[in-house]
Amino acid sequence: MSVLSAGDAADGAAGRPRARATRRSHLSQTHREWLAAYLFLLPDVLGLLIFVGLPMVLALSLGFFDVSGFGTYTFAGLGNYRKMLADPLFLDSLQVTAKYVLVLVPGLYVSGLGLALLVKRPVRLIGLFRAMLFLPNVISLVVIGLLWKFLFVDRIGMVNVLLSKIGLGGLSWLGDPDLSLWALLGVTIWFLMGFYMLIFLAGLQEIPREYYDAARIDGAGPLRSFRDITLPLLKPTSFFVLLVSLVAAVAGPQGFDLVYVMTSGGPANSTNLMTYYIYQQAFLFSNFGYAAAMASFLVFVLLGLTGILFAVTRGGRFDFD
Amino acid sequence: MTSTDIGGAQFGMRAAGEGRSGGTLLIAALILISSLTVFPLIWMVSSAFKTGTEVYTLRIVPEVPTLDNFRYVFTQLPFARYMFNSFFVSATVTVVALFFHSMAAYALARLHFPGRELIFRLIFSTLLVSLPVILVPLFVLVRSMGMLNTYAGLIIPAIFNAFGIFLLRQFYLGIPQELEEAAILDGAGYWRVYANIILPLSRPILAALAVFFFLANWNSFLWPLTITSDPDLWVVQTGIASFQQQYASAQNYIMAASVVVAMPTMLLFFIFQRQLVESIKTSGFK
Amino acid sequence: MTVDAPEASDVQKRVDEAGASRSRPAGMNRRSLIKVGAGAAGGLGLFGPSALPLISRRSAAAQGDTLKFWQFYAPGGQVESQAAWFENTVAGWNEQNDKQVELVYVPNSDYMDGTKLPTAFASGQGPDLFIISPGDFLRYYNGGVLQDLTPFMEQEAIDDFFPDVLASRVVDDKVFGLPMEVEPMAMYYSLAAWEEAGLTDSDIPQTWEQLLEVGQRLTNDQRFGVLFETNPGYYQNFTWYPFMWQGGAEIQVPESNKSGMRDPGAVEALKFWQDAVNLGVSPRTVLGGGAWDVVPNLTTGYCAIQNVGIWAISALQENAPDFEYGIFKLPVPEGGQYSTDLGGWAFVANSQGQDPETAAQFVVWALGTMSEDSIQRGVDWCTKAKSDMAPRQSVQELATEQGGFDSGPLKQFAEEILPGGRGEPRVTPEIYKSISDAIQAAQLNGTDPEQAAEQAATEIEAFLATYTGAPIL
Repeated sequence: MSVLSAGDAADGAAGRPRARATRRSHLSQTHREWLAAYLFLLPDVLGLLIFVGLPMVLALSLGFFDVSGFGTYTFAGLGNYRKMLADPLFLDSLQVTAKYVLVLVPGLYVSGLGLALLVKRPVRLIGLFRAMLFLPNVISLVVIGLLWKFLFVDRIGMVNVLLSKIGLGGLSWLGDPDLSLWALLGVTIWFLMGFYMLIFLAGLQEIPREYYDAARIDGAGPLRSFRDITLPLLKPTSFFVLLVSLVAAVAGPQGFDLVYVMTSGGPANSTNLMTYYIYQQAFLFSNFGYAAAMASFLVFVLLGLTGILFAVTRGGRFDFD
Repeated sequence: MTSTDIGGAQFGMRAAGEGRSGGTLLIAALILISSLTVFPLIWMVSSAFKTGTEVYTLRIVPEVPTLDNFRYVFTQLPFARYMFNSFFVSATVTVVALFFHSMAAYALARLHFPGRELIFRLIFSTLLVSLPVILVPLFVLVRSMGMLNTYAGLIIPAIFNAFGIFLLRQFYLGIPQELEEAAILDGAGYWRVYANIILPLSRPILAALAVFFFLANWNSFLWPLTITSDPDLWVVQTGIASFQQQYASAQNYIMAASVVVAMPTMLLFFIFQRQLVESIKTSGFK
Repeated sequence: MTVDAPEASDVQKRVDEAGASRSRPAGMNRRSLIKVGAGAAGGLGLFGPSALPLISRRSAAAQGDTLKFWQFYAPGGQVESQAAWFENTVAGWNEQNDKQVELVYVPNSDYMDGTKLPTAFASGQGPDLFIISPGDFLRYYNGGVLQDLTPFMEQEAIDDFFPDVLASRVVDDKVFGLPMEVEPMAMYYSLAAWEEAGLTDSDIPQTWEQLLEVGQRLTNDQRFGVLFETNPGYYQNFTWYPFMWQGGAEIQVPESNKSGMRDPGAVEALKFWQDAVNLGVSPRTVLGGGAWDVVPNLTTGYCAIQNVGIWAISALQENAPDFEYGIFKLPVPEGGQYSTDLGGWAFVANSQGQDPETAAQFVVWALGTMSEDSIQRGVDWCTKAKSDMAPRQSVQELATEQGGFDSGPLKQFAEEILPGGRGEPRVTPEIYKSISDAIQAAQLNGTDPEQAAEQAATEIEAFLATYTGAPIL
């Protein structure tokens, strides 16, 4: 119902300038285009401004205040930012996050591409295999966290039982600070890889078969045709995957949700990702101002990183032809 | 519906055409990796049929399979009501969001106007902040609009998400210019170009995005929990959380509820997976 | 897409119904206009320091009809008697009073360390009534949202509460919360595991050393001897404090700005937990929700002895009635003095709510008068709805009279385990975190206990030097 009325309104709105243009010829083609563009953008931009932009500005500007969490605010200038630099937990958390991102982004790239190559050939039941590989994506992160927490438990957990068969038993995947981040990364990749597989699969299927046929005639092996044909032609897809997985690794919900359910940032702060630490400071310690300062910092780092990717890809246009 | 069916058929034809040169090694690897991937979820399903103590054992097939957990889930809490709420909210968000996003993306990709790059950058930058960071101000805002404990509060803030705009813009950048130019020369307005040319072309990618949007909203937890206290408005994820009691985590109920909750989304994916891949491909969403 | 069409009208109908049931009497329109106006003003003023609370106070006042009471005992939950107790209490009040109280249920997992309560308070929309544990007391007290209950209480009733239990809810002789229960920590063991390892009653450990020895005998490749909490959080600190007290250490040395974390008692307690993990007697991860969760850990045989509180009695009764277990009090270090930690939640009233005085009256009426009703309510909660110790002398007496502590595990708790216990400490989030980091580092990261303790002490002292809130206890 709301869709219909919204559609009508937009139709009317976009139709109006045209009608007016025919009447008043001084509204040039260029201006009509401008007006149309603004009207097309209106619903989403307005919504984003109100429901994301405004809260974002409010939330981030809290970084300059001491906020009690109970309605009192005192201006603190750069106090929260100074505190940040002197907070060993923040610096730790930054390190954990950097490690997480540096493993996750390539990890998703490799696993996504690997799986896509694996499921590219249309063998029997391929649809079923693809569906199975995507399946973790369908389940809520809270349940995913609970499941893996059990599978990773000391001694009797499924992971340990299986690994002990190859002589690697007795490890505490979520209880040993040297392993916990890896366990978290493993679960995260397992959860997200199906999505990137689909993206890569679509990219792979766009590459004309003739290229490979020609390469084979030239005597190129599978490795060489992967290097000389697949990789270069996947460039647009690759940039897209890198950009999306970078944003997801730093600000995506999976980082927070899985840590929240599986480790609470432990053991010994070894999985204390920035998103979790920010949440902890805000909601468990009522330090909303400090949390906001850290969040702003994170946004600026991400802006920088994605800015670089945008520059490299000419404003997000991934087609290079 | 029709277009995705055709997509599926094309896909099937090509699949047949490419022959079955896949070696046994490939098949073996496929079976191994996909079963490993699914294995934890099998445990989830089996747990749903276990008793409260057996749920913490490694047995995959329950010793005494029981339906009690499912009975509990549906009798102790109005779970059907939660499922309706989740469905209603997710479907509405998906439909409205796709419509708004495609309009915005069309303007950003195909029209020329001052501030285009700036607006795009600003929209993109909203992706960099996660929900917990803006939770409090958003809550204040939604409350001051009188939308606490309403469907509107569940739906409206969830509609606006830059990710969809970003993906659709990518797609629209790849559509050949000539189609629209011809239409514009014919005197068609921008709305008609959008409605008659762009929108039909975007059907496949809209289908793919619909699946992702629906999934994301179906599984969302934090926002619904924060703004609803009225149990009539609870969604499935809030319901699952409430099976966790102060002194007993009751994993068997949680897993049974999770299986029930995952059913529609699994089904959705199984039915649409072919179309999904096809639409990602044809849409050039990459 | 066409599949859902038949349902559409149904959907619309239900939405309409939902809308209708929410619609309020006249005046709503103007009120929402004010709210939107206030929102816009707040938006335009952006982050002016007063913008957020301004909106919130106004709408908080505008919204009120019933007092909202947030808690996590679900109607239709697993322990129906607990939810029923809340419902009866509120119904009892509502019969006698004009100002009505309404229960709002928040899922437990989110109530404990979630975002819902902090979000509500941060936006000035906190519930009128809620329940908190000592671990959270200072955060809310220092935030200025706890209503003083003293003016509404008779002195006799205040004196009726056990001083040590009430202490963590008192600042400057004023009572800011009334405890509904007392939950001591103890050790539970599986009789089956005990017998299997050839242990008898005489093997029940009295000292830490004995506990580790027995633990080693109970440990095999499928089972851990002794289970302590491993997840970082308020609860882990709570379970660790008694071991620190037993050696005479304190978080804050009384009457000083010094921390007792570097005292031998604290260092030894850190080392005790570290040894347990290093010996392979204690796991690094626990099953279920945490080490408070008895069914997944003890009854399944993941551990043979579990450090858990009195609530485990009713949890076992509800979920594993056939499971045979025994209980013993926390062992002590060589030359140490027995202590245990007494947890438990309290009713509090929001001083920034719509009607703080009535809310305070509700709390006192429910748990803190000398009337028969109020005392019986305490008995019903502690011995019927739950299996807990009583926070008040009169409740303890009446419960004993009614046979609540006559036999079995509850008798053991009342006679053996409770005496010598101390109320759960109240600390600020900063101090909590320093101690938690020390425990985690020693227990799971192999950090030298002395070094971990030293770091915590340094951090706590740095914090105390500038701290001006209510005293740490």
